[in-house]
Amino acid sequence: MKFLIIAKKEMIDITRDKRTILMMVAVPLLMVPILMGSMMKIVSSQAEKASAKQLKVRFVGEEHAPNLYQAFTEMDKVIMLNQIPIDSIQSYIQEEFLDAAIYVNPTYSKDIAGNGQANIQIHFKGTDSFDIARDRIKAVLKVSENQIISSRMDRLNIQASVVKAYEIQYNDVASKQEKFGKLAGGWLPYIFIIFGFMGAMYPAVDLGSGEKERGTLETILSSPATRLDVVMGKFLVIMSAAFLTAFLGLAGLLIGIQQISEIPPPVLTLINEIFSVKSIALIMTLVLPVSAFFSAVLLGLSIYARSFKEAQSIIAPLNIVIIFPAVIGTLPGIELNSITALIPILNVSLAAKDIIAGVINPFFMTEVYLSLFGFAALALLWCVSAFNKESTIFRN
Amino acid sequence: MITVKNLVKDFSLNRKQRKELGDEYKNTKTIRAVDDISFECKPGRIYGLLGPNGAGKTTTLRMIATMLKPSSGFINVTGFDTVNQGQNVREQIGFMTGQTALYDRLTPTEMVKYIGDLHGMDKITFQNRKNKLFDILDMHSFADRRIARLSTGMKQKTSIARTIIHDPQVMVFDEPTSGLDVMTSRAIMDLIRSCREEGKTVIFSTHRMGEVNQVCNDIAIIYKGKLFYNDTLDKFKSEMTQPTFEEEFIYRVGEA
Repeated sequence: MKFLIIAKKEMIDITRDKRTILMMVAVPLLMVPILMGSMMKIVSSQAEKASAKQLKVRFVGEEHAPNLYQAFTEMDKVIMLNQIPIDSIQSYIQEEFLDAAIYVNPTYSKDIAGNGQANIQIHFKGTDSFDIARDRIKAVLKVSENQIISSRMDRLNIQASVVKAYEIQYNDVASKQEKFGKLAGGWLPYIFIIFGFMGAMYPAVDLGSGEKERGTLETILSSPATRLDVVMGKFLVIMSAAFLTAFLGLAGLLIGIQQISEIPPPVLTLINEIFSVKSIALIMTLVLPVSAFFSAVLLGLSIYARSFKEAQSIIAPLNIVIIFPAVIGTLPGIELNSITALIPILNVSLAAKDIIAGVINPFFMTEVYLSLFGFAALALLWCVSAFNKESTIFRN
Repeated sequence: MITVKNLVKDFSLNRKQRKELGDEYKNTKTIRAVDDISFECKPGRIYGLLGPNGAGKTTTLRMIATMLKPSSGFINVTGFDTVNQGQNVREQIGFMTGQTALYDRLTPTEMVKYIGDLHGMDKITFQNRKNKLFDILDMHSFADRRIARLSTGMKQKTSIARTIIHDPQVMVFDEPTSGLDVMTSRAIMDLIRSCREEGKTVIFSTHRMGEVNQVCNDIAIIYKGKLFYNDTLDKFKSEMTQPTFEEEFIYRVGEA
């Protein structure tokens, strides 16, 4: 039971370390909601700005298509800038003084009257991420085109069914939860995987190489505690820190969602229904073995390192290694199956996605647990063996 | 009582280390840090292990404290074998180095309690022992202050308290005064003396000849892993051919 004495001491030690507390509690609990809130504010204000923007349009050939020109002048929030010389249009668009230019052929009226196709060219600068200019112009053109088609069909006495052979009805059996889970669920595990790793990182460095650097390792090695006691005591504390940080990351995310006023109330109600106590508890059962896996690997590496600095430089690149499978899990088409359920981190990402969507397969879930606990046990064995190696412990 | 018999310790060398050591070690896979040494430390006496840096003192003491395993030979500490009965050995020893080696975020009380708990001390025994040590070392005024905020002297007192809180029968001091000021060094030397007076077995490594003269009963000179003097301090003094301890030490190391 000496490992519990060690765990108790290490817990007191790390909870008095400001850096660890900051990383473990403040970052997930405060930073996630603040970042989410700010990001949503920026996105919505940009979108608002873009939709409220006066669209500056130059129409070339209005004498050939007076009706179409009229439709554009009646558009909401538009300024028609027909005084711009034709040869300056391109440079005006390039400099973003003009949002779009619409070119109508001189044969427009003839083409339309003859049931032909009129050529319309739209010039714009496609760097506006909201595509507002293009979308608004397209909407006006669509209305005008529909009017022309409709009058042609009336003139030719053609039923709508002649040109539209199918009347398709899509009946989606996926529940809103399922759709939401598949769409947004991938990002949730991304959050707690990253936070779980970050939560384990500082305590692992502090309790492993930090002990070497302070010279306290000899104190503990000359005590009656066995090496296994030492490893287990440290491992338990690092795992608890990782688990707590991941949990607080999740909590931070949920708090953040509640604070975002831009989310429509029905969506917010759906999110609250999805994140029931049961689904959160189920997700946390995945966080536990993944925290154990991270903790054992990081403690082993930290023990190997000669100093705090060396441990940080060994561990920091692992962030990328962790992010990679977590991001793959967010991609569409990557599903939880008997193979992906065995790949650590990716399996957490995919399983959490299915839990949120409410479609988790118990067989795959069992496989995920077995894989995660298996890898965590292997990592822990490696960590114990590293701690037993004189060449690792006294590498200095 | 510590009995060391034919102790050998080899460390394996990696490519980088072989390169650093030069051509002599180009084709060697291991380096011998301790080479067939034998000695005995008796209760109520202070055994001084003398040698320059890199002689093998720390390796020997770490083997006695069970932190390292001998490549061959054996060590017996108060009747327990260090390899097979490591935990029993560790229950009997107090290990102290020159570094204060304390946890900065704990208080002296917590530090001492931690070690006491690891030694399985019950609450009453611990409390009595702690009070006694804190009285002797005058530690009550800073007992609940974080170690990081203590002066070097206060830290050293805490280090002493944590080393002897479980009243060990064997004390292992690895260059305990290295890097310390005169006042703090004196406190350590007093501790070493008091351990002898209490009948404990004390082994003490140093490269300061003055300290040896102050406290040791028996001495051994270790150089390049080999032990080439092992007897009482009085005998050493009587055999001296050089005017001072330091000169005698250098002379003997040169002879080796």
